[in-house]
This record gives sequence, structure tokens and C-alpha cells, in this order.
Amino acid sequence: MSVSIGGAKPASESRRSKASPPHDQKKRKSPTRVSPALYLFPLPAIAVTLVFLVMPTLQAFQYALTDWNGFSAAFNYVGLDNFVRAFTGDSLFTNALANNLKFMLVVVIFQTVVSLVLAMMLTKNSRGSILLRALFFFPTILSSVSVAFIWKFIYDPNFGLANSTLGAVGLDSLQGSYLGDDAQALYWVAATQVWFHAGQMMVVFVAGLQGIPRELYEAAEIDGAGKWQQFTSITWPLVAPATAIVVAYTTIQSFKAFDLILGIAGNPPKASLDILSTRIYSSFANAEFGYAAAQSIIFMALIALVTWLQRRVLRLTQKQE
Amino acid sequence: MDHISRRQALGLFGALGMGAAVASCAGPGGTAPAAPNSVAAPATGEITGEVSFAHWRGEDKEVFDELIKRFTSANSGVSLTQNISTSNDYNAQGLQKLRGASIGDAFASFRGSQFSNFVEAGLYTNLTDSPAAAQYEPDLLAAGKSEDAQFGLPYQVVFPMPLINLDIFDRAGADIAPKDWDGFLGTCEALKSAGVVPISWPGGDVGNGGQLFNCMIINVAPADDMGTQIEQGTLKLTDDWYIGMLRQYQQLIPYLQPNSTGTAVEPAQSLFSRGDAAMLATGSYHLAAVRDLGAEFPMELIFPNTSTGGTSKYEGVYNATFILGVNADSDNQPAAMEWVNFLSDPENAGYYANETAQHVAVAGVEYTNEDLQKLSPWLEKKTALAPRFQFQNLDVRNAVEASATAVIAGTDPEQAAAEAQQIVDERV
Repeated sequence: MSVSIGGAKPASESRRSKASPPHDQKKRKSPTRVSPALYLFPLPAIAVTLVFLVMPTLQAFQYALTDWNGFSAAFNYVGLDNFVRAFTGDSLFTNALANNLKFMLVVVIFQTVVSLVLAMMLTKNSRGSILLRALFFFPTILSSVSVAFIWKFIYDPNFGLANSTLGAVGLDSLQGSYLGDDAQALYWVAATQVWFHAGQMMVVFVAGLQGIPRELYEAAEIDGAGKWQQFTSITWPLVAPATAIVVAYTTIQSFKAFDLILGIAGNPPKASLDILSTRIYSSFANAEFGYAAAQSIIFMALIALVTWLQRRVLRLTQKQE
Repeated sequence: MDHISRRQALGLFGALGMGAAVASCAGPGGTAPAAPNSVAAPATGEITGEVSFAHWRGEDKEVFDELIKRFTSANSGVSLTQNISTSNDYNAQGLQKLRGASIGDAFASFRGSQFSNFVEAGLYTNLTDSPAAAQYEPDLLAAGKSEDAQFGLPYQVVFPMPLINLDIFDRAGADIAPKDWDGFLGTCEALKSAGVVPISWPGGDVGNGGQLFNCMIINVAPADDMGTQIEQGTLKLTDDWYIGMLRQYQQLIPYLQPNSTGTAVEPAQSLFSRGDAAMLATGSYHLAAVRDLGAEFPMELIFPNTSTGGTSKYEGVYNATFILGVNADSDNQPAAMEWVNFLSDPENAGYYANETAQHVAVAGVEYTNEDLQKLSPWLEKKTALAPRFQFQNLDVRNAVEASATAVIAGTDPEQAAAEAQQIVDERV
């Protein structure tokens, strides 16, 4: 829609002015010149962003090039040594990176699937659905430390709910050490993470699913499409924006499951439960600020990369559908 | 200037951004701390104003509240508050929290890497000639010294050795003072035959599970400063003596509760306090917690002596920790120092010790708590300062202790040692 101010011009004049503006129009006051007071309004926000976001980020880049221990006046610039060390000379970092990628993969897949299935079952706004949605959403409002402690006691091999329940139904042979088993520990924490956040992601999917016109399903049914075909041809492509949000958010959550890991595994967590955020924290605690800053930058870059890749892949798969 | 163009506005924001960039390019670090021997004593002056006491002993809060009440009634111009963090947070962030002294005019620190970092950061004042320092057993002050200057006063004396249930030991006829490793295994076997879990070990908790390491290593290592030497690379975890110690850990597996590597400290305490386990492999610092859980049986300490044949060098291990100090950045050092003096008074230290069931390094304290009385002979025994705190690098410490946990989880000792040594090598 176009709006003309000061009355309509003759068509010929209008054409002329598009082709070559007359000299007096060039002199006319630019519409972008506004009172300077307007430019003062964003200043507080800009100042806050500069002080609390831009400066610390720039400082992290600077610290990453030093061997600063976090408190000493003396430090040396070490170039890219910290970055090189992270990838070639620190098995704890590469172990945490591998753990984090495994954790992310498991959580993203299971959390997306579980939340989508829940959302599909509870899309209707019936009383029962609303009640169940609230129930599934409930864990999200708990603090992660509380969740960590609840699950730590569930997983306890001596008095925990998991082994007690298995024992009570005669499945003693399935009783395990859970967090004590290095090969499984990460997956048990991933299960906790899915329980914790699936309800939250379900709400995003419900909103996406409710936006799909019912007529499409009715038409598909008339055309003889089965449930699976309806899902692949209608639901999955049309729920793409919600899926993109869920996957991106879940990815970032998985990288930042710091408080959950620390709550469940203690500080420092053992190597089998160490992820990037806890490793960075350990490096800070170990008075290696320069190295921790370098790890933080790698961490940031990795989240950006993985999120970008996911969006590309998701867009491609949903376009193909 | 009536108006500002978009270009001018962008220029202004650009200048702000450049300013921020330049400001953020200021180098890290602060003022260089003075050499240890030239650090000043706390300032003297009127005992007044607000004092913050920073520490991690949440379980001692009520006892400190009572001591604060007594302190402030004796010093009417002072108000004193406790700033308590969890031990994990205090270990990780204590230095950053205390710098600048927005909290922690008086504070405590852990022995080992935290104390060293605090000294290096210039956080301590010099307490060498303070009246408080004169109240302590001289032998127990070493943990608070650096280059002969007394920066901190190690307040607590704890024994990181397994607590034992004497009733179960009596019933099983188990030896409470085994002289060597075979003797200790014999004790475990007797307990197991009596139908109880011999050792409750919180293998799922790095901090508490690692305490057993103190006992296991002290008599088999070739040097008393084995932790320092491991960190420096002069002793290797792949050496025979270390792998031998891991094999001794392996021998403990039948005597630990099932799935011990997944057991957190609270369930481990519960097993012990309910009488389902005969030993709790943490330390005397859990006496009060175990009593709070309802344990009424008599308790003692046992030293899992790993020496084999011949005489052993040490009869146990102890740790001097909760190292009290006065913050060099504090603007109320006189009152903070007075609080440290107050805590170091034998009567007040005795109150703290008896109420929290922990021995203290202050001389002349009368222990009225029955558990402390029972354990007091350990103060006279030939005990070694707990070696796990020799490690200055926490990654190294965790890797070394994780090798023992890995063995209990089923890893071959040689493989566990090699994996841990790799992490040490990366940090030497």
C-alpha cells in the first residue's frame, strides 16, 4: 500500500520525478533527519548491550589468547595455543565434546519425537487434553537443581525408585548402577533432560499443529490417504516452523545442560558425564581463565554451527516432503 | 545542534562501539600482589561496623549464629553476617567472590590449591604475629603458611578415614586396628561373614568418594609428597607402586555395597547410619551428619592400612582445613581480625568443636562431645597430612582419583592408570 502526502500529483509529473528528480527535490529536507532526542532513546539499551554483552564477548576473545589464571597481574599472550591445546592436547576437552554431541543427538531426537507425539495426541482443546498438557508441562516449571536431585534419588542404586520398582515386580536382573555405569550414565541424564523439557516443547508443537487447517486432513481422507501419509504429507511439512524452533531450542538446551549435570553428577562431574559447559566451568575453577575463554569461544561457535546445520537439514527434508 | 542525521547517529553509535572495544581490550589481571613475606598484617583500629564472614559450612550455620551472638554482645558496635556457599561453589568461585571484599572480610579457605591461589591473588593479610595464631597447636599451622608467613589459621582437624560402627565390629569379632593390608582384608571378611556390607563407599560423589584415596596411598607411595611429584611428572601413575595400590582397590570390590560407583554420599551415609554397613568410607567430618540420621551406636575410625609386611610409616591421615583469614581488600580489617581472634579463643573454639563434632587446631580445647572424646587419641597418633590436597591442579586430582573409581567399576588397573597418566601428562 502506498500513501501520498500532500495530495496526488499528475501522472506525468509523477513519471518525471521517478526518472530524474528535479533540483529542488534534492534540496528538500531528508525524511531521515529527525530530532536528536529520538536518537537518545536507544542509548540506554545500547549502553547495557555494550557493557554486558559486547565488551565481555570481546574480552573473552582477548583472554582466549592469553595464559591468564584469573587473578594474577601477570599473563602472557600465547596466540592460538589455547585453541590448539583444546583440540590436540586435552583429552578431557575432546571427551566433553564427544559427550556433548552424543547427549545433544539423543536429546534432540527423543525430545522432538516425544513432544511431537504428545502434541499430536493432545491437539484438541478438550478438558482432558488441557489437563494432560498442564501435567506434561509441569516439570518445566521446576528448577533444574530440583529436577537433578529428584532424579539422582530415582537413580540411586541402593534406595532409588528405579531399582526398588524393578525389584518389586521381580525384575531384579534389570537393576543397575545407572549413573555409576560410565557406559550408560550420559543416557540416563539425557532421559532426565527429555522428561524435563518435553512438555515445554509439546506446547510449541501444539501451537503449530493447531495452525494446520482441518480441511487439509478432510481432503486427504477423501482422497484415501492413511494416517501415516497424512502425517508425512501434511503434518510434517506444515509443522516445520515449530519443528525448527523445537530443534534449535533443544540443541542449545543440550549444550547448556550445565545445572542438570552438576546437580546430578556433582562438581566436578566424572569424565563420563562431563560436557562442554561443565568442562569450561572446571577450567575456570582450575584457575585457567585464558584456556576457559578459548573453550567458551569454541563452544559458542559450535552451537552456532550445529544450529545452522540443523536448520538447513530441516528445511531440506521438509521441502522434499 | 538541532538535528542529527542518520550518518551522524551511526557515527555516534560506532564511536560507542569502538570505545567499548578499546575498553574491553584492557589486559586482564589486577594489581600485582606483594611478596608473601612483605604482606601487611591486618589494620588495627576501632572494632565496629559490618563484617561479612564467608565460608562453605552450611551445616555449621546455627553454631556460628550462636558464636556471632556472643561476639556481637561483647563488641556492641559490630554486626556480623555469614555468607555461606556450598562447598562446590566455594571451591570453584570463592576467589572471585572474595576479591574486592564485597563479601568475606573474614573468610575460610580449603587446604591445597584454593589456599595457594588465595595467597597468590594477595587475598590474605599476614597473621604471623596475630594473637590468634598464638592460640593454635604449632604443628597444625603448616597448612596456612606460605614462605614462613602465616596467612591463614587452619581451624578444623578432620580425619578422612572410614568411620566404623563399633557394635557391628564387636558382633563380628572384627579387628578395629589392622596393622597391614591383609589385616584390613581380614576385617572386611569377618564383617561380610557377619552378614553386613563391610564398607559403604560413595563412589558416585567425587569429593567424598575420593577421601579413601588418602588412606590407600599414604603408606605405599615412595615419597610423602607423592601428589606434588605426580603433578610434576617425577612420579608416574604407571609405576608399579601405583598400579599395586589400584590392585588393592580391586580387592575391595567384594566388600563394598552393590553398585557402589553410582552411590551418592547421602545414601552411603544412610546405609551406615541404619546399621546396614559397618564402615562409612568418608571421614570424621560426617560424624554429626550420621548422628542426625539417627545413628546411636558407638563410632570409631579405622585406617585401611595398605602396607604389606614390615612396619608402616603412618597410622592414619588427617587434614587441617577451614583455613581462617582476614581479607586484604576488606575496609573493616580490625573487626574481621577480632572475629578471627574470637573464634581462636579456646572456649569459643571448644564450643564450635563440640557442637559440630569436629576437632579443632586450637590448643587447650576441652572436648566434651562423646564422639570427639572417643576420637581424640587420633590427635596424638602418627598421622600424615591428607595427600589428595597436595594436588594443585584439580583436573589432575580428579583424574588420579578417577583411576581408583574406574578400577572398582571393573577397569583393569593398568589401563586405568595409563588413562589417568595421559591426563596428567597433558597438564605437566
